[in-house]
Amino acid sequence: MTPQSGPIGMFCRIYSILLYAYPRDFRLQYGIAMQQVFRDRCRDMVRASGRLPKLRFAAHIAADWLTTTISERAVAVWSAGRKKTPRNFVTEWAVTIAIYLFATTTLVQAYVVPTGSMEGTIRVGDHMLVDRLTFAEPGTIGPHILPYREPERGDIVVFLYPEDIRQTYVKRVIGLPGDRIRLDEQQVIRNGRRLIEPYVRHIATYPDAYRDNFPLSPEASTTPRGRDMLERHVLNGEVIVPPHTLFVLGDNRENSEDSRYWGFVPRSYVVGKPLFVYWSYDAPTADLTDWTLDHVLDVAQHFFTRTRWERTLMVPRSQTGQEAGGAQ
Amino acid sequence: MAQPKLSHEQGPLSPPVFHILLALAGEERHGYGIMQDVAHQTGNALRLGPGTLYGCLKRMLAAGLVEESDERPDPALDDERRRYYRMTPLGKRVVHAEAKRLFGAVTAARTKLAGGDA
Repeated sequence: MTPQSGPIGMFCRIYSILLYAYPRDFRLQYGIAMQQVFRDRCRDMVRASGRLPKLRFAAHIAADWLTTTISERAVAVWSAGRKKTPRNFVTEWAVTIAIYLFATTTLVQAYVVPTGSMEGTIRVGDHMLVDRLTFAEPGTIGPHILPYREPERGDIVVFLYPEDIRQTYVKRVIGLPGDRIRLDEQQVIRNGRRLIEPYVRHIATYPDAYRDNFPLSPEASTTPRGRDMLERHVLNGEVIVPPHTLFVLGDNRENSEDSRYWGFVPRSYVVGKPLFVYWSYDAPTADLTDWTLDHVLDVAQHFFTRTRWERTLMVPRSQTGQEAGGAQ
Repeated sequence: MAQPKLSHEQGPLSPPVFHILLALAGEERHGYGIMQDVAHQTGNALRLGPGTLYGCLKRMLAAGLVEESDERPDPALDDERRRYYRMTPLGKRVVHAEAKRLFGAVTAARTKLAGGDA
């Protein structure tokens, strides 16, 4: 009856935590039934294919939860205001706020894209929600709570920039541990097979021997981690991805600072995967990382004209490159 | 159980309440059964989330429109026990009154709009 009890079990556990945002009486009265209903809908969802229905389901559940926790609380406060002590409500609201914080920090995270290295797929100024669950490492919250999976080739990942973890980057996974990677005339050769990558943009710039034929002819602009990669992980003109790391490249292949320059991404630096774009605003890179007064004024003045409305709710998709001339 | 002060006396029912009553018109259902039936009635236009569903049921119970029948497993789903709901005689009167009111509204709209078109 439940072929994918793993993720469903996890979603149900999360939902049971979210139920604590409801007033205590309501939760005790209906919590179990609400979990049953939620699980039944999850099962239906698993049968439906495609990502959009699942997103819509998640959005619907989130909206339902948000509006009804507020309205049930308002009712509880109103009806109790006439009889009981107010102290309960302070603690009750504190719990609710804690749950809201849990939802916005553990489950999802907002992220703005400051550079064009994924142009073609993700644009400068895309504000998106990042799903922090899927790639969460087992053990961060508890191995049984999360239906995590390992990042796969072709996945877009959001991660902490290894050279400076205050920055967050987004790139596409090209190599998993053990993969042999090189570039030949801007084309990725993975494990000896040429990749056909429909998502890649080749926006012509000056030729660059290192960038286009990685990892040949090492250059000076690599970082310490990049040099370490070239010294210790190159064999026969190919980089071999070490355990517990990922090799990532930008889709805007010729204008991307990626694993070619600063090495591998440790698995533990992966934050999550992009869920959808909630707001896309045309602004220069510097303004997106820091909210200056100028930027606030700029947004206030140009909100309607510079917002790229067509990108709202866009889902950046995983897409695996086809390996040319090879078996699966 | 039924309180004299009823929300339906003050005005029309909210769409979720109306459709939940319709779902319970023929038979007793549990929460998910109600949700599915409402989606079916409305051609998937109205999908009730768990919070909306049980928030409505709570108020409808308090108003005496529905009552809990018993707790038993649904053979179609799994062996877990679920709480079933059924409509009270009062609920039946209210849903009839609401359907009549809506019918009147639709008739009025039809007459007006048909006059405008033709």
